[in-house]
Parts: sequence; structure tokens; C-alpha cells
Amino acid sequence: MPAQLLAAEKLVKTFGATLAVAGADFSVYPGEIFGFLGPNGAGKTTTINMMTGLMRPTSGRTLIDGVDVACRPVEAKRLFGYVPDEPQLYGKLSALEFLNFIGDVYGLDAATRKPRILELLKIFELSGEQSHLIESYSHGMKQKVALCAALLHAPRVYFLDEPTVGLDPKSARLLKDLLRQAADAGAAVFMSTHIMEIAQALCDRVAILHHGDIVGMGSVAELRASSAEQTLEEVFLSLTGGSNHTSAPLFGRPA
Amino acid sequence: MIASEVRGSLADALLLSRALLRHRALAVLRDIKSPQLYFVATLAGVTLFCLILAGTFIATATLQAAQAYGLLASIPAWAFLVYLFTDILIAFGQALGDLYLSRDMPILLVMPVRVPSIIAAKFVLGVVQNEVYVAVFLLPFVIGFLLASHVAWWAYVMAIVGVAAFPATLYAALVVLTIAALRIIPAKAAKETLLLVGAAVPTLFWVLSFYRVAHIGGDLASLRLPDPPKWLPSTWLGNVLSSLAAGQPLHALAWMAVLLGVTLVACPLAMAAVASGFAHGWSGAWATPSRRIRNAARALRPRLPVLWTCARKDAWIFLRTPQLWFNHIAALGFVGYLLVGHKTQTPLLPMTVQLAMVQIGFVSILAALNPGMIAISLERRCAWLMKSSPLLPKEILGAKLCVAYAQSAGIAVVGAVALGAGYHFGGLDVTALALFALLMCACGICCGILFDSAFPSFEWENPNMINRGVRMVIPFLSSLGVLALCAVALWICRLALHGAPQGAAAVCCGLAGAAAIVAIVVSASLRRASSNIEALEV
Ligand SMILES: Nc1ncnc2c1ncn2[C@@H]1O[C@H](COP(=O)(O)OP(=O)(O)O)[C@@H](O)[C@H]1O
Ligand SMILES: [Mg+2]
Repeated sequence: MPAQLLAAEKLVKTFGATLAVAGADFSVYPGEIFGFLGPNGAGKTTTINMMTGLMRPTSGRTLIDGVDVACRPVEAKRLFGYVPDEPQLYGKLSALEFLNFIGDVYGLDAATRKPRILELLKIFELSGEQSHLIESYSHGMKQKVALCAALLHAPRVYFLDEPTVGLDPKSARLLKDLLRQAADAGAAVFMSTHIMEIAQALCDRVAILHHGDIVGMGSVAELRASSAEQTLEEVFLSLTGGSNHTSAPLFGRPA
Repeated sequence: MIASEVRGSLADALLLSRALLRHRALAVLRDIKSPQLYFVATLAGVTLFCLILAGTFIATATLQAAQAYGLLASIPAWAFLVYLFTDILIAFGQALGDLYLSRDMPILLVMPVRVPSIIAAKFVLGVVQNEVYVAVFLLPFVIGFLLASHVAWWAYVMAIVGVAAFPATLYAALVVLTIAALRIIPAKAAKETLLLVGAAVPTLFWVLSFYRVAHIGGDLASLRLPDPPKWLPSTWLGNVLSSLAAGQPLHALAWMAVLLGVTLVACPLAMAAVASGFAHGWSGAWATPSRRIRNAARALRPRLPVLWTCARKDAWIFLRTPQLWFNHIAALGFVGYLLVGHKTQTPLLPMTVQLAMVQIGFVSILAALNPGMIAISLERRCAWLMKSSPLLPKEILGAKLCVAYAQSAGIAVVGAVALGAGYHFGGLDVTALALFALLMCACGICCGILFDSAFPSFEWENPNMINRGVRMVIPFLSSLGVLALCAVALWICRLALHGAPQGAAAVCCGLAGAAAIVAIVVSASLRRASSNIEALEV
């Protein structure tokens, strides 16, 4: 097996008394799409925030291709692309200006940058609006610009936090294809999601996070086999204890 | 169970007002991340209150001893007028922010309550927020004035009621103006235009009014300020106060009746007007124009160094966000104020190059503090990008410094030249003014950035909201402290080198001393700011 591209080593994060992430420990290898599953509030975003240097872990560390994010942040950050769950971008820049700014930040030379930016905008169907200010874009359009920015410098590692949430079906499909292509070209993709179909169809391996603990990890087939459940959804529900809804009925006949 | 009967509008309005006020108060309380910060800010507020009170008391007592009854009768109206103009600046943004741009409006509008009730609740919220400024700035003035005039207890009650009612009329007028403007001005430009007008008009009014005040003459006892416009509520309130002090309770009552009567009529009328046109204005204010950047393809320029590309991004944001320009209008307005007030100031304090340098230093701090204090916060919820990209803290900081300095240094130099020309200074003196202004700009920006990097505020709807409340106090006071130190350096050099030809040596030495002080402040604060940015978590 090739050397891991992304390694999370016993990442712990506490917010005051709450333990948000309790020792996340996993590796992602080149060519692999790794799904990070968990219910709302499980700690997915917090884990990604620690791995991308947005938050300091309470303990533990993250290595991107062997580079420690905390010790050599700039070097590590050059190696990955990141799309947050809520893509907030500079509203007063146009998509072109924004992507050009990203090109400068990642040191892309003019010859590779221009065709790549125009190509990305074209495949995400943003070419018509590329000169408009981002503040007038819809949520999904902003998310597409954020995806273009992450893809622009062709990084070796991708962090995507629930990337398909705001996208229309066509763009979601496009994203899945692009991620597969990137992985096939040797990148490591780390994506969080709570959509089982995506995880099942796209991810080579998944980890299931519950209250900050990784309660299951492996390929979908392995997880199904180990817990004797039929689908990934059932595995997920049985591991996160969410399938038995027994409280009193909320809905009666409207008055 | 949901009560089936429809509540009356009034009950709705009361319920909503209570809820909104409570939420605002809780938000302020729960925002206290650093107790020391709030302690210092509260202390500063209390100090300001005491200073205004003591200053007013002493000034009033002095004027009474000099039997300057003309001045005593006209000063309150002018004091309230100054407040009124300053408040227009604040309240315009507030009317827009609370009514149109506020994030809870969509939630409120889908609730089963009538629109007038929502408007009324928002109106109450706006007025109550204004009362905070009244409490800090006007209340001590009123109390100090009355204390020195030896009046009975009921005079205090009356004056305080009047002062409390004062902002309501003002806010009502501004809210109506806002909605009217949103009907006339195309939505595309409404937000920006309104806020710009809100900054420019009071500044101009202010300078013109002071021009009249500054050009009165005569001896103290017979001196009287020109009458401020009769139709302004500030004049009515001023008349209440001066009548109370002069022992004319009937006059005071009459003016009080005018003030309260107009308030009682104007506020409901204003709310009705706003409610009737609200839907139109609201959707207009929300529509974000789809602005197209010309020649945008040219943006794909060859590679720029990281610091410059960050600076270019920040410069674009500055140029495309007119709200960020207000601060500079106000700073330049202050130069105008200095020029027209020049003749009245000089008898108290003879005009020297050093005095003009301190004056322009103050203007520079006004111009520089805000760009510094919002530099990091301006990233808003894009801060994730700054933190997840391969940028060094010093590159981020460097870009912010360049953009903030470029704006405020421009204003400072223009101000210095204008002031020097107005005072009929020679070329060398104007150069000294400009150099000192540039120094104080650097100081203001660094104090601002240091504070902003330690306490950034990423949750805002328009950039004028970043520095609301206590945020402004601490960096402002620390920059003023540095200015005071530099002023001491200037005067020491002046006294020590008095015999030098034309005082040029004294000015040069003073400048060198000030430069040394500023250099220490700048290097220390930038080092701290850089490590703050490194440690920032988003
Ligand atoms: N900045 C924060 N301060 C305090 N608690 C937080 C913060 N961010 C997240 N949490 C808590 O950490 C837990 C995990 O949150 P998060 O990682 O956002 O979950 P998700 O898996 O839905 O992305 C939640 O209980 C949340 O309340
Ligand atoms: Mg999340």
C-alpha cells in the first residue's frame, strides 16, 4: 500500500466542558475517497476545522503528506483544497477576480491559471455570471465557486464538508465525477456527509462518527458484514442509535 | 395551545417590543467574551459621563459668574444641535439596519402578526438603543447645566423627560426619510446612497453651523450665539433647559408641550407611513444588484506576489463598498470645523505650528482608526479562507496595513494641506503638518489593527455595524494617549529650542521625537497583531 497522504492522529477537541471530537484517528491514502459520516453535531465540521488549521486541536495532530499542519502551516496548506459547509466568499469580487486571487495565493503561473479558471467556470456553468459580483449569486452558485477555488490548484488532498448539500442534481453529479477523477489521478479526498447514497456510491472507505467517537470504519462492504445489516443506512442507524422513534405522535388531525 | 383569537395590533407590538429588547440585551450580555474589555469600556463610559458633567458644571458656573446670560440662554440649543447632527449619522445606519437589513426581518414577516406591530417594535428598539447615547452624552450635560443653575428637583425631572423623548422624534423623521428615499432612489444604489447622504449632510451642516458660531464677536457678557433653526426638536429641548435655568417654568412648560406633543403625533404618523410603504422598501433594500465588472477578463493578470494580491483584493472591497468611505468624509469634515473655528480658538491658545500639528494629528487618528479597526473583521465569514490558505500572518497583516494606510494617509495629507493653507502657513510648516499627520495615521491604524486582531467581529450585516458600542473606545483612547505623548515631545522641543531661527529646528526635533514614539508603538503593536492573527480560530 502506498504511503498515506492524510493522517489524523488522535485529534481531540473540547469546547469548555463539551467534548466535540474524542480522538479521531485515521489515514487516507492516494486514490481514495474517504467518507466521514455522522449525524448533525457529531463533530464532522470540527474535525475538518482541526485538520485544515482553522482550529487548534486540544491534542493530536494532522499530517498532510507528512507535513504537520500545526508546525508548518503554510507548507501544509499549499497541499490541500478545502470547501467549507457554508461557502462564504468575498461578495465584492467577481468570480473571475476571486479565482484569480486564489491563483495568486497558491502561486499558479499565468499560463496554467487562465485556461483552468475558464474551464472550471465553464463546466460548473458559471461562465455567464463570471464577471458579476459574488454577492448576487445564489447559495448553490457560491458553493460552485468555492469548489472551483478548491480544484484550481489541483491539490493532492481535498477536504469537503458536506459538499453536495446546496448543489442541484446535475452539479452534484459533476462533483462526484470530478472527485473520482481526482482520486484516480492519485489525490486523497476526505468528505463529510450524512447522505448515505453518496457515501455508498462514491466512497472507498467510510468512518462513522457519533458524539465525537469513531464508532465504525472500513469499506461499505466491510461495515455491512461486521454488523450484519443490509444497507449502509441501517449500519449507520444501528451504530448511531437513531432508528427507534418511539415518542408520542406529533401530528394529529389538523383542527 | 395557540390562542384562537387574533391579538390586537397593540398587544402584538408590546409583545414583540419586549421580546426584541430582551434579545438585544441578552445578545450584548452573552457577547462578553472578555470581562476586562467590558470593564475598561464601562470605566471609559463612566469617565466620559463624569467629565461632561464636571465640564458643563464648571463652564456654566463660570458664565454665570460673568453674567453672560445671552450665552447661557443659547448654549443648550446648540449643544443639542451638535448631538442631533452626530446622531443623524448613527441613526440613519440604524434605521436601515434595524428595519431593512436586519436578519430577523424575514422570520418576523412570516409570523402571524401585523406589519405595523413589527414596525412599532423595531421602532421602540431603535429609540431605546439611541437612549444609550443620550444617557452617556446628553444626560451629564443636562444635569451639569441644571446643577450650576440651582434649580428645584422638578426641573430635573422635566429636563430628563424631555431628553428621553428627544431621540424618538429624530428617529421617526429618519425612518420616514429612509423609506421615502427607498421609493425614489433605485434599489440598486439605495443602501449606499442613503448611508453616504447620512454621512455627508450632517458633516456639512455641522461645519456651516460652526462657521456662524465662530464668527460672532463682542464681550462675554453681551455675547449671544445666533439662533439655531426654530423647527428643530433640539432647539425646543434647548429652550426647555435654558428656561428652566433662567427660572421661567411657564416658558419651559410651553416648550416641553411642543416637544412632547410633536413626539406623540410624529411617532405614530411615522410608523403608519413606514408600515404602508414597508413591503416595497423592504424588497428594494434586499435586492442585491447584479453588478457586472467591466473588463473582468483582464483580472486574469500574470502572477502577483501574495501580499500584493491580498492588498488588491482588499482595495477592491474598499472601493466597491461606499459605506467604508463615510469615516473619511467625517474626518475631512473635521478639518472644515477646525478652519472655521480657528478664530475663536486662537484667543485661548495662540496658533503655532505645534498646535496645528496636534490638530491634524487628531484628524489623522479619526481617519485611520476605523480602517484599522475593521481590517480583520472585514473578512467577515470569509475568514475561513484566510486561515485555510497558505498565507503567512505577516502577508495578511501587510496587505491590510497597505490598504488602510493608503486610504487614511490620503485623507491626512489632504487635510494637512487644507489646514496649512487655511492657517496661511508656509511650505515648510505644511510639510511638517503632513509628516506629523502621516505619523499619526500609522499610529491609529496599528492601534486599530491590534485591537481588531484580538477581538475580531465577524457577525455583521453592514460594515458600519462592526464598530458599534464599546469597540471604538479602547483603541481610540490609546491612540489619543500616543498623540498626547507626541504633543508633549513637540512642546518640549519648542520650549528647549525657542531661540532657533523660525523655530524650524524645534519643529524638526519635535517630529523626530514623535517619530520615535510612533515607531515603538507601531513595531510593538504589529508584532502582537501578527501573533493574534496566527492564533485566530474561526
Ligand atoms: N465554536 C464552537 N463552540 C462550542 N461548541 C462547538 C463549536 N463548534 C462546534 N461545537 C459543538 O461541537 C459539536 C460538533 O459540532 P460540529 O463539528 O459542527 O458537528 P457536525 O458533525 O454537524 O459538523 C456540537 O455539539 C457543537 O455544538
Ligand atoms: Mg457540519
